[in-house]
Amino acid sequence: MIEVEHLSKVYGSTTALQDVTFEAKPGEILGLLGPNGAGKTTTMRILAGYLPATKGTARIAGYEVHEQPMAVRQRIGYLPEVPPLYPNMTVEGFLHFVGRLKGLSAGDRPQQVQWAIAQCNLIEKQKTLIHKLSKGFRQRVGIAQAIVHNPPTIILDEPTTGLDPRQIIDVRNLIKTLAEDKTVILSTHILPEVNMTCHRVAIINYGKVVATSPLADLKAQQPDQLNYELDLQGSREVIEKELKNISGVLTWKWLSPQEQTQPRQKVRVTCHPDAALGQQLAHDLVYAGIELHEMRRLGTSLEEIYLELTTQELPPQSEVEVDPTQSSDLVTSSTPTAEPQDPEWVNSTPADRGDDEVDP
Amino acid sequence: MILILNNIVAIFRKELQGYFKSSLAYIIAGVFWLLACSLFVSEIQLWTAQKASGQMIDVPQESLKSFLAGMWWLVMLIMPSLSMGLYAEERRHRTLELLATSPITNWAVALGKLLAVWTLFFTLMVPVAVFEVLFLSRAQPPITVGIFWVGHLGIFLLAAAILSLGLFVSSLADNSILAIILTYALILVLSLLFLLGERWGEPWAAIFEQLSLVKHYVTLTQGVLDASSVILFVSYIVLGLFLTAQSIDLFRFQRH
Repeated sequence: MIEVEHLSKVYGSTTALQDVTFEAKPGEILGLLGPNGAGKTTTMRILAGYLPATKGTARIAGYEVHEQPMAVRQRIGYLPEVPPLYPNMTVEGFLHFVGRLKGLSAGDRPQQVQWAIAQCNLIEKQKTLIHKLSKGFRQRVGIAQAIVHNPPTIILDEPTTGLDPRQIIDVRNLIKTLAEDKTVILSTHILPEVNMTCHRVAIINYGKVVATSPLADLKAQQPDQLNYELDLQGSREVIEKELKNISGVLTWKWLSPQEQTQPRQKVRVTCHPDAALGQQLAHDLVYAGIELHEMRRLGTSLEEIYLELTTQELPPQSEVEVDPTQSSDLVTSSTPTAEPQDPEWVNSTPADRGDDEVDP
Repeated sequence: MILILNNIVAIFRKELQGYFKSSLAYIIAGVFWLLACSLFVSEIQLWTAQKASGQMIDVPQESLKSFLAGMWWLVMLIMPSLSMGLYAEERRHRTLELLATSPITNWAVALGKLLAVWTLFFTLMVPVAVFEVLFLSRAQPPITVGIFWVGHLGIFLLAAAILSLGLFVSSLADNSILAIILTYALILVLSLLFLLGERWGEPWAAIFEQLSLVKHYVTLTQGVLDASSVILFVSYIVLGLFLTAQSIDLFRFQRH
């Protein structure tokens, strides 16, 4: 259980955190999402007892981090941004050392170390010196040291940075497994990370939490329209005529080129959010003799919510990490979703594709 | 309490294993043994030559005293190279964050590190002491055993004091090279304080003389087990540990 109340941190004249409040319950993965420099690492360092807050309280498993630091330290596993590793130790030796530091008894330690090694897929590398490991393996050793003492709370600062896609999937699965009976808080600036791993998200920007809620609620906050993407084969005129006849359809946009040489074409239809039109759309189009090859509902992308929440807060002259013009309207945008310029976002596939996929 | 002890042991083991895995420690050991044994042999040769010139000299006794006095330079030369990386390396590998977020106090970390590096020095001294014993065991007249024991106690106390101060400097420095240079500077200043005292006159002369590492070390090498000397060394050791714990706590908030 993590409870953060009105947390503020000031470095000299710089305010790194301002009145941050959120909580995470056991069995929950909370994603701390925000651009670089938003205050994610500062928040995590305060939670881990590495930095004192200027104001406010943070409780881990009921213990206040400033008042009972030792009790907190026994109950957290913390992976900093750069994994803290001793290059001249073997993986196994290092985990034994961390186990001793964390107060694991000599009887439990070998078992716990082997458990952490197995959880992080490090069995083959357990006798290897850490300086011989690749970045991905080092990151896993970093996670292993955070879980070796089986703490009820795990704090992970950008746990998937520097990993290849396969390893990212493994780490996400590991985090999900760990969260079954623990509280996990992870920070990231990569959106799919939150989408795929977390139950709840706290979006943080310029030291303030601009939104905190379950992921589903956050997405539901933006119900101004509902989009369907359809892959059809048939005359455009007929299709448009059918669409006009369906009440609730607000607008549509052809995604395929104008020429009629291609028999199949894609169209994005925007409907009123209250009208559940999926069934009617499919029915009417097929009834009019149009072949429907694919149909899917596009959810509101977390990317858009994130951009909206974080760009609203930006002071006019500050350096903007993501281009606010990219948060364009889905209907008029030429691409399915906004794609920010940061290279790390290239992999950010919009994962909110809907659930009523039709493929007749 | 048991947790604190376990923590100190954990740090101690980690550091000691680290030394035995690093080539630098073996190089330092080689240099130390070479210089220490050469010093011992040269002292014996020196005093033997003096005796040969007709003076009445107890060669083994005088050789041992000169050797112990000469060890001051060797300890001062070698110790900073052992202490330089104690915290600088932690900083380089970003592992201070691991220590600071584990249930272990800064005191325990500093003490564990000091004990480890002091144990390393102890293991360096064992062969040298065996070498001395081999030479001196058949000495005629037999040497005063007190000088041997108290003198070596002096070496270990001096080494621990320098290591403790070196530990503190290492906790301030960002890299090992800077740490070793600053440690040399610090112990040089502490050693030469008495010169400053002589220049300033009383009461500084008396105060600085009491604070001088050299003066108290020389007292012990003469076989005089002076409580004030032992207390001074222990004070330096505790001061070094205290300052280390404080600096780690303080600078944690400024260095990321």
